[in-house]
Amino acid sequence: MLKPILTRLLNHLIHQNSWAKTQLKQFGGKAVRFNIPPVSATLAVLEDGGLAMAGDAAEPDAIVTIPFPVALRLLANDESATTLATLEGDTELAAALTKVLRGMQWEYEEDLSKLIGDVPAHQLAEFGRKASAEVKKQSINLAEMLTEYWQEEQPMIAKKRHVEQFVKEVDTLRDDTERLGKRLEKLETKLKAENNS
Amino acid sequence: MSEKTTHFGFQTVGENEKARKVGEVFHSVARKYDLMNDVMSAGMHRSWKRFAVEVSGVSEGDRVLDIAGGSGDLSRLFASKVGSTGEVVLTDINASMLAVGRDRLIDDGVSVPALQCDAEKLPFTDHYFDCVMVAFGLRNMTHKDKALAEMQRVLKVGGRLLVLEFSQIWKPLAPLYDAYSFKLLPLMGKLFAKDANSYQYLAESIRMHPDQETLKQMILDAGFGKVDYYNLSAGAVALHKGWKI
Repeated sequence: MLKPILTRLLNHLIHQNSWAKTQLKQFGGKAVRFNIPPVSATLAVLEDGGLAMAGDAAEPDAIVTIPFPVALRLLANDESATTLATLEGDTELAAALTKVLRGMQWEYEEDLSKLIGDVPAHQLAEFGRKASAEVKKQSINLAEMLTEYWQEEQPMIAKKRHVEQFVKEVDTLRDDTERLGKRLEKLETKLKAENNS
Repeated sequence: MSEKTTHFGFQTVGENEKARKVGEVFHSVARKYDLMNDVMSAGMHRSWKRFAVEVSGVSEGDRVLDIAGGSGDLSRLFASKVGSTGEVVLTDINASMLAVGRDRLIDDGVSVPALQCDAEKLPFTDHYFDCVMVAFGLRNMTHKDKALAEMQRVLKVGGRLLVLEFSQIWKPLAPLYDAYSFKLLPLMGKLFAKDANSYQYLAESIRMHPDQETLKQMILDAGFGKVDYYNLSAGAVALHKGWKI
């Protein structure tokens, strides 16, 4: 019974984001498999531009593979992570669906208002937004604190400037080694020529 | 020359006899069909039907054919999707079932044309509908292949066929399901509809109906380009969706 529930949820989201229907309608009847190891799910684009979970015998027209760490970065709105997802098959369809899924927003305040009324819904949503912002802020603080501890007190993580310095020194060493190699080659050639004469 | 035979539940009957016998069953259960459906499926038949309409992809202005639509549940749902610019046609081979569905729709203020017709000889022109739906009706048809070919004929290119039907349940649940179908179902039929035999037939006809993969192949053989199916309630019911390409 999971597929009907998820399909209902997807269509509810599509209904709240009507722009998505316009973008998806041209792909009606096609299916895209999303592989986020260890899980995968196939979504079907409906002929009216809606979305549904695909059936048990669906053959996907496109496959999107997103490694788990990349999925986490995408969830954290890291735009640069989009380039790390791989698209196979109908890439236009895969790209359009991925864009729609990333762009859709759940209007939870609107849904809540139908259950408990406009004013309590707004207050509850406001509380939710503040709580979420606070959790995000505290998470960043905690991450910064741990980073500092592992860099200064109990060194486990290298600092950015140290890594950059190290990379620079490796580059210099590589160039010096290459130059030395060339000089040795030259000397060998010269030595051989002198021995032959 | 010997007469061609087919199954009627677990019995073997002449092909020309099946339609009459099925007609008798549905004439007998027509008035209490919905009540029994609710009792038998614990109300789940409503969510199966709603799901079928959701994945149909039907939108405003579309033309929908509801075959074996009897009680009119699906026609009502489709009518709200296609709006005033669309068209829903309710059909059933059984006059008693069709009358119940038509009257209920009229009582609810839903106006759709209701036609008594045989799904094996649909009275519509080629390439007319955007969606054809048959819910819990295909297994009662004598020549399923002919009916499926007719459904394919009346669909537009890009149109969809939806077949909602009892199917093969997940194996570990089969003994429990058998006990329910052959012991409890006729008993409930006797108690609620005063008609144990008709519900015995329903249970038997479900067992004789092709499983998910076989029905998928039958739909492909009827000329559909692509078929997908959903197992609902552990496969007790399956929704097949075929595309005319």
